[in-house]
Amino acid sequence: MAATPTLILTSSDGVDITVDRDVAERSLLIKNMLEDLGETGEAIPIPNVNEAVLKKVIEWCTHHKSDPPSTGDDDDSRRKTTDIDEWDQKFMQVDQEMLFEIILAANYLDIKGLLDVGCKTVANMIKGKSPEEIRKTFNIQNDFTPEEEDQIRRENEWAEDR
Amino acid sequence: MPRSRQAARFPSEAPSETSSSTSPDRTVDDDTDFFTAQANDSQSSIGVANIREVNAYHDPYLALPPIGRLPPEILIAIFSKLSSPGDMLSCMRSITSSVGKMQSFFEYSSLIRRLNLSALTEDVSDGTVVPFAQCKRIERLTLTNCSKLTDKGVSDLVEGNRHLQALDVSDLRSLTDHTLYTVARNCHRLQGLNITGCVKATDDSLIVVSENCRQIKRLKLNGVGQVTDKAIMSFARNCPAILEIDLHDCKHVTNSSVTCLMATLPNLRELRLAHCSEITDSAFLELPRHLSMDSLRILDLTACENIRDEAVERIVQSAPRLRNLVLAKCRLITDRAVWAICKLGKNLHYVHLGHCSNITDSAVIQLVKSCNRIRYIDLACCNLLTDLSVQQLATLPKLRRVGLVKCQLISNQSIFALARSNVSHHPLGVSSLERVHLSYCVQLNTDGIHDLLNNCPRLTHLSLTGVQPFLREELTVFCREAPPEFTHQQREVFCVFSGEGVNRLRDYLNRITPAREMTEATMYDDDEELDEEEGQVTGLMHATAINDDGYIDIPHPPS
Repeated sequence: MAATPTLILTSSDGVDITVDRDVAERSLLIKNMLEDLGETGEAIPIPNVNEAVLKKVIEWCTHHKSDPPSTGDDDDSRRKTTDIDEWDQKFMQVDQEMLFEIILAANYLDIKGLLDVGCKTVANMIKGKSPEEIRKTFNIQNDFTPEEEDQIRRENEWAEDR
Repeated sequence: MPRSRQAARFPSEAPSETSSSTSPDRTVDDDTDFFTAQANDSQSSIGVANIREVNAYHDPYLALPPIGRLPPEILIAIFSKLSSPGDMLSCMRSITSSVGKMQSFFEYSSLIRRLNLSALTEDVSDGTVVPFAQCKRIERLTLTNCSKLTDKGVSDLVEGNRHLQALDVSDLRSLTDHTLYTVARNCHRLQGLNITGCVKATDDSLIVVSENCRQIKRLKLNGVGQVTDKAIMSFARNCPAILEIDLHDCKHVTNSSVTCLMATLPNLRELRLAHCSEITDSAFLELPRHLSMDSLRILDLTACENIRDEAVERIVQSAPRLRNLVLAKCRLITDRAVWAICKLGKNLHYVHLGHCSNITDSAVIQLVKSCNRIRYIDLACCNLLTDLSVQQLATLPKLRRVGLVKCQLISNQSIFALARSNVSHHPLGVSSLERVHLSYCVQLNTDGIHDLLNNCPRLTHLSLTGVQPFLREELTVFCREAPPEFTHQQREVFCVFSGEGVNRLRDYLNRITPAREMTEATMYDDDEELDEEEGQVTGLMHATAINDDGYIDIPHPPS
């Protein structure tokens, strides 16, 4: 059996990482690039993603390499569901810095499944929390006075308890 | 423009596919089916995706928390995963700053571009919208079904807004000319106006709107009963960009409006005149001789009962690229009109001829031969039609929806033909049929339908109201609930299967009478264990037979 074809990706901090071609092609950006340019054998620079993040992304792509291709931007992916499979949940147990880096990388590299899992993870961090808890979770500064806050709450009573 | 500001604050190199496109133009997808397009259009907004967006962004000059690095399109994607408005509100209160906060770094109120309160319906009152009155850069305002809103609330929102492009106030029944005058005074960039069901609106304000909002492209006046030719002709004169106009049930609209709209508006794509009962043939016969409305794709003349063959002939001649033609309840038309429709050829995707009961088999057969891209056809109550018509319909390679309600001459032969429909055309041999309406086709029984179910895996809707063999308790358990307004008698005969109900009916029928093997083998065996038993290959051979011979020889099911 022939060896699996591989590619070299160069992270933003200049580290070369060798990866199976079918794994790398979970990224539509890379897949389309290979289709457009053909395989040159040269390392592919990934200027927006550093080594640590790129390794995480490759880990995810490797685990999911035999997933069926995403069915496009169908309605299902927009469905308001935040179910995440167990492996992905574990995978996403990283600090926030890394979580958002992964999301940005998934967006840049156009990996729909990973982006989706990332967004769901953040959504789950928001669900059921009070504004104060959300601020704390994401380290967001509160620039409201209590009076202002109360005013917003009253103006928006329609959204409570729904 | 705020775009550059966003870009500056979120230096994301990510390819941005934000949903904040400001163009109200719907992408024109030539292949979009009429119904699908409508569903996406959500009635509520005028050609605008229905995303509820109230965005504002965190102050970038403070030390950004990690989440502050996410660009807007990702934040939107995250918010779209939240299911309850409560969570959304919490986000708004924590992540964004107050809309009304004056000393904020940014003027958040001016960042709000889309406001859609349609999901909140009667929970919205004039008071609710007060905080939004200072959002003067809203481009799309969707208030569909917020029935408690009055002129006060809506006018306050609109007053001072020079940026509004789309306003949807459908079914705000208490609105009067006052709101429309406010729109005319303020919103010169308006491109979409939907005042469906605003029964108090009159010509007076609409004429002023037409004179001041001259960029209007989409206009929906459905059920605005007081509107007359005066207002419509004023729109035709003043708003040359109009693409779509809906005048459903505008009883005072007459021929002059229709002729004027068609002859004046070069870009008109969609014209809906259902139940405009004043309209007669001359609306079309008086069109300029050589007028060519190459843009017109959709014409709805439902229940314009005075329309005859001559009008249809002229329509097809003037609008050769019509894709959707609705002539339901144009009872006077005959085969001659259908011959004319044949000239639309492959342009025709959707045709409704329900209650056009003069139509005969020969016209339908010719129609199918001429227009083989038809995806949707309705022939309800065309009670001269026989199995010959349906067998021809079954040859349409893209047929998805077919309506044959009360075509009482059709028999199981028709259903067997539909079950074989386009099996031979599709590479996977899968029928494209999705919705089949067979209510009151009284000759049908379970044999035909069972076969149809097993050959049409995409079937999501099957109506069999009043078809006796299905009105048995063991089958009706899979039915949809009858609509609440139905009488006892109507409930007795109601029989509609949809969604999962279709699958359950199929499963049940397969349990009590094993499906004919041929269908099983071709439809569901994907594990490639097809051995060459004759029963299993019959299906494929049969499909080929249809293809080669051009006629349909239906084997009777083993009894």
